[in-house]
Amino acid sequence: MTSLLEVSGVSVSFDGFRAINNLSFRIGPAELRAVIGPNGAGKTTFMDIVTGKTRADSGTVRWGEKGLSLTGLSEARIAREGVGRKFQKPTVFEDQSVETNLLMALKNRRGPFAALIWRPKPAEMERMRELAGTIGLSAHLARKAGELSHGQKQWLEIGMLLAQEPKLLLVDEPAAGMTPAEREKTTEILVEAAKTRAVVVVEHDMEFVRRLNCRVTVLHEGSVLAEGSLDHVTSNKDVIDVYLGR
Amino acid sequence: MTGSFLSRNPSVPVMLGAILALVFAVTVFSEAMGGGLSTSFVKTLGMTLCLALAALAMDLVWGYAGILSLGNIAFFGLGGYMIGMWLMAARTRDVVTANLAAQPIPPTPSEIDAAVAGQIFGVVGSDSFPLVWAFSGSLAAQLALVVLVPAALAAVFGWLAFRARVTGVYLSILTQAMTLALALWLFQNDSGLRGNNGLSGLQNIPGAEGVPQAEVALWFLWGSAAALALGYLLSAWLVSGKFGAVLRGIRDNESRVRFLGYPVEGYKLAIFTLSAAITGVAGALYYPQAGIVNPAEMMPIASIYLAVWVAIGGRGRLYGAVIGAVAVSLVSSFFTSGRLPDLDLGPVRLVWVDWWLVMLGAGFVAVTLLAPKGLGGLVDLWSRRRGADRHGADLGPDAGALREQEAEA
Ligand SMILES: Nc1ncnc2c1ncn2[C@@H]1O[C@H](COP(=O)(O)OP(=O)(O)OP(=O)(O)O)[C@@H](O)[C@H]1O
Ligand SMILES: [Mg+2]
Repeated sequence: MTSLLEVSGVSVSFDGFRAINNLSFRIGPAELRAVIGPNGAGKTTFMDIVTGKTRADSGTVRWGEKGLSLTGLSEARIAREGVGRKFQKPTVFEDQSVETNLLMALKNRRGPFAALIWRPKPAEMERMRELAGTIGLSAHLARKAGELSHGQKQWLEIGMLLAQEPKLLLVDEPAAGMTPAEREKTTEILVEAAKTRAVVVVEHDMEFVRRLNCRVTVLHEGSVLAEGSLDHVTSNKDVIDVYLGR
Repeated sequence: MTGSFLSRNPSVPVMLGAILALVFAVTVFSEAMGGGLSTSFVKTLGMTLCLALAALAMDLVWGYAGILSLGNIAFFGLGGYMIGMWLMAARTRDVVTANLAAQPIPPTPSEIDAAVAGQIFGVVGSDSFPLVWAFSGSLAAQLALVVLVPAALAAVFGWLAFRARVTGVYLSILTQAMTLALALWLFQNDSGLRGNNGLSGLQNIPGAEGVPQAEVALWFLWGSAAALALGYLLSAWLVSGKFGAVLRGIRDNESRVRFLGYPVEGYKLAIFTLSAAITGVAGALYYPQAGIVNPAEMMPIASIYLAVWVAIGGRGRLYGAVIGAVAVSLVSSFFTSGRLPDLDLGPVRLVWVDWWLVMLGAGFVAVTLLAPKGLGGLVDLWSRRRGADRHGADLGPDAGALREQEAEA
């Protein structure tokens, strides 16, 4: 199987502390993957490397069929290549309306000049409304994003991610601060999205991961400790020792 | 971001109407029309409109993109210098030619050139035109330079600074350093721009010798009003579309904008350069009314003034910048005009000209602490809009992000 993203032998140190240690990871074009690991395992840093926020000290990050190297490209360029990212703490444009947040994320040309002359096309408005429906914010389009509840902001960010139409979604703890009902809905959205693209979900909540019903990668001290089905990894002795602590 | 231009910018008709009403009233009551408004007051109003335009441009970079530029005053001064070069060269040439024509032998063109250069540069001990005056003979060229020189400086400086991802306080310090360097260079006699003398006699418009200053003052008032109106329309168009949405995104949360795929540097560069060009135009209209432009205009205090106007008016709303600049500079010219009698308070003497700056400083601190929405926030009171309660959280993680109290409802 060809892979969409292939991370090999990547290491990163912060002031001598190895946050990522010879990490290798790959994911196919339409696959859902959960990444779990204790606090400080390097999950967020892994996403930082793929999205260009943090530069790898060594190793390669290859993207797509042509094997484009992502190390060294700017964050914006990587995003335009089709990598979308949701942050651990919900980050939306709080001073702007839900509608504007979604329209800004919609896939189209990103240059300043294109933005100057941009006018919403009916198809784009339609798509924006459809997304707002998916994330349950249809009734809140005119509200400022800053007024939304924590869970609604999480959803808005997921909606913006979908609007970008990325080939790969990196989702950092999407269910944090959500009610059980909201979590269920989030699961549905992610599972649905993974039918047509690659989705990597970082999550602490085991129940949530179980419901995703997908392959699981366990990170520990910056490298992969185990990989496989949830049952497989949770019965792995190393995983039990370092992560579940039982 | 969606909807018609007017529905996105309800302040536009109000602002244009106010400008029109002001110009109409001042014209009718001006000295030139036989009214009671003095020419110097008409000039003060015209200059105030230019300052409002400069504040508007400042709001574009600071209020919308979160770049606290302390370099905008340099662009303002450069605009003045660019138009001043033509005004001074052309006017001096007219005078010199008239003088020499009285001589028995008609002067050669090179004699006229030398005499003009001697007149202009005598004060700095030079008698020939420096290279930077190469285009001073052409009004069209100098008008183009009014826009091009500030824009080019902003583009080069911005490209270096934004690419290196300098932000926040460091960026402000860097822009202030640029302004100071420019001012210090201009102070030197061999800068070619008459050192600390600056360019003077700019109120005399070549070819309009017979026109009384009262009338010239009206022309400039109209010109300044038109520039402000056009600047307001342009700014409203810029910030109310997707371009503006991206700018505000950059102000509040720059990295989120990057992860959406937007080339942040390009946007910053575009708005910084455009702001510089607009500021250049404002300066070019201001200094002929002031009559003189010199490097002292670009000292650090002036950079702070621009920021103070925008802050007092309310950052991140266009009408706020205009209101702030107009209110503060009119009050300022009232206090510093010397018309107010000094107060004798026993041990201290309250000299308004000196104390005004202290009052302005106190006003700035008060607005920042007590009413961060500034004067523009009064509009929210009147339209009964209330911001969401964010429990003290800013609107984004960046240094330039709006604070909770600054946000428009
Ligand atoms: N910019 C940085 N500078 C210094 N240390 C960092 C930096 N970013 C991450 N680290 C360190 O790297 C390690 C991995 O951090 P990371 O945020 O990737 O963990 P995580 O798996 O996402 O944890 P959590 O579950 O708490 O979100 C941590 O020990 C963290 O302190
Ligand atoms: Mg994390």
